[in-house]
Amino acid sequence: MNNAIITTKDLCKSYSSGAVATHALRGVSLEIEKGSFTCIVGPSGHGKSTLMHLIGGLDRPTEGSVHLEGTDLSRLDNSQLAQLRGEKIGFVFQFFNLLQGLTAKENVEVAMMLSGFPEKEQEKGALKLLAKVGLTEKADAKPSQLSGGQQQRVAIARALANDPAILLMDEPTGNLDSAAEAEVLEILHELHAAGKTVVIVTHNNEIAQKAQRVICVRDGRISCQ
Amino acid sequence: MTLSKLVFKNITRRRGRFVFTLLGITIGIASFVTFLSMGGSLKSEINRESASLGANLIVTPIGSCAYEQVSILTGEILPSNITMIDVTKIQAIKGVSAVPVLTEKTAIANKPLSVNGIDVEKMKSFKGWEIGKGAYFSGTDEAAAVVGFAAAELFKLDAGSTIVVRGEQLQVKGVLKETGGRDDLTVFLPLPLAQKLYKTGDKVSYMAVKVDNLAQTDSYIQQIREATNLGVISDKQMLKSVLSIVGTVNITLQMIAAVSVLAAAFGIINTMMTATYERKREIGILQALGAKQRTIFTIFLLESGFYGIIGGATGVVLGLFVSITAAPYITQNAFTSFVKGSGNGALIDPKTVIGSILFSTAVAIVAGVYPAWRAARLSPVEAISYE
Repeated sequence: MNNAIITTKDLCKSYSSGAVATHALRGVSLEIEKGSFTCIVGPSGHGKSTLMHLIGGLDRPTEGSVHLEGTDLSRLDNSQLAQLRGEKIGFVFQFFNLLQGLTAKENVEVAMMLSGFPEKEQEKGALKLLAKVGLTEKADAKPSQLSGGQQQRVAIARALANDPAILLMDEPTGNLDSAAEAEVLEILHELHAAGKTVVIVTHNNEIAQKAQRVICVRDGRISCQ
Repeated sequence: MTLSKLVFKNITRRRGRFVFTLLGITIGIASFVTFLSMGGSLKSEINRESASLGANLIVTPIGSCAYEQVSILTGEILPSNITMIDVTKIQAIKGVSAVPVLTEKTAIANKPLSVNGIDVEKMKSFKGWEIGKGAYFSGTDEAAAVVGFAAAELFKLDAGSTIVVRGEQLQVKGVLKETGGRDDLTVFLPLPLAQKLYKTGDKVSYMAVKVDNLAQTDSYIQQIREATNLGVISDKQMLKSVLSIVGTVNITLQMIAAVSVLAAAFGIINTMMTATYERKREIGILQALGAKQRTIFTIFLLESGFYGIIGGATGVVLGLFVSITAAPYITQNAFTSFVKGSGNGALIDPKTVIGSILFSTAVAIVAGVYPAWRAARLSPVEAISYE
């Protein structure tokens, strides 16, 4: 596949706590196509999130390699890796992870600041992104004044702040009721339709069924794809 | 959004902790500023008193040390050990004008007040006094008093009032014009009357000496030493030794204040360490959004720097307030009762203000280095998975 945005090769990750080593990943090789909508599924504790962290450059593999748009992540130092996250990747987490003291708009602005947007452009950009997720009216609300679904939509707007090459989501609907889940999924499909590459780690079969491609992870290995 | 705005929002989000940490550095800097400006005003006060003394040389009993020299400037009682024979010998030296002074104390309405026994005619021309109200002494053996400007105002005295010194009722003959120095808060008596009231025989406390030719000051000192067995010191030397004592006291006080600033620095370290633990997840989010280690380090260092700047500014304000309102009471008995309407001029020194804020900021930034380094070193996955 020449159109791959992500390529991993023999990815291994083990954690050692004292004498016991935990093998979270045991040799994962996969490719994710540009513009695809991919779900990574599998039971808890089998390495899904670890895989996502490695793909997103939040963590480093014990062995193997990750290439993002041709860049070998293992060749980057911490600072270059951070810059790459700021420029090319958008993360969305299960627990929203908004900065509590800031408004919805400010949360998006912080992400824009970290990916290098000058202050003057931030407000306009943030409002545009909030409009995209249908939260124009909540721009000045703090996370504590928003419902779970609204918080997750702010998180998506924030993940889009750098116009990322790839959106990586860890259980984005894991903490939402079905109505909020439907809203979030609709936004994700819109983003996909507009050409974004979306990778979702999930337990949720409904999401998986609508995905173009499903990758199953079990015991740190790919069991189906 | 900029880093500074983000940091400011972070600080003010936790108001209670913000205020208490800030109070620590505020109090530290306030005490520092208070001691600094009190020391400064004490020095300028001493300079002023020394200038108003109007003498080039001071003759004191031999072996007098800095304590006695300070007393001359502050109007405290000195041992009276110089005889009139010595006074005459010094006055006989060519090229000098010398006046004897007996320093004592009395009290009016339970408030202490300096009493100086003086050679009335010589002293008037020596100091260049002018009469504000009433009249000056007409002769040496008069049983009356002349009072300084501030003393008259403080105790509501006027020409014709009566004061009691050592049980003797004395009429106030006149009030001097304001001199801006020690003399304003003094009651003057003719020397023979003062010597009688205070039972000092024919002795005086010190002599103020003016020389005609300043270039030959050393030779005059030599002549006085040879003529009498007394100690002689120039006003400059005296000023130097007095100021060096004050300087030592000042430095000691400032060091105590610096310790309190140091204690406040540990308060900042504590707050910032707590912040790195509490905000682990937040650090992880920022890292996921592209914050480099350097950025996280800067955020935390800025945060403690803010404590320094704000704490420094509030500390300076508090310190100046304390020194303006409380300093006159604190220094009253120590060295000088502040003459009304003067002595506060040197308090607000821009160098003190800027220096203290810079000092506090520097301390706060140094205090922030370790917590900031800890925060920057967190791995993104570890931080983001923290619950």
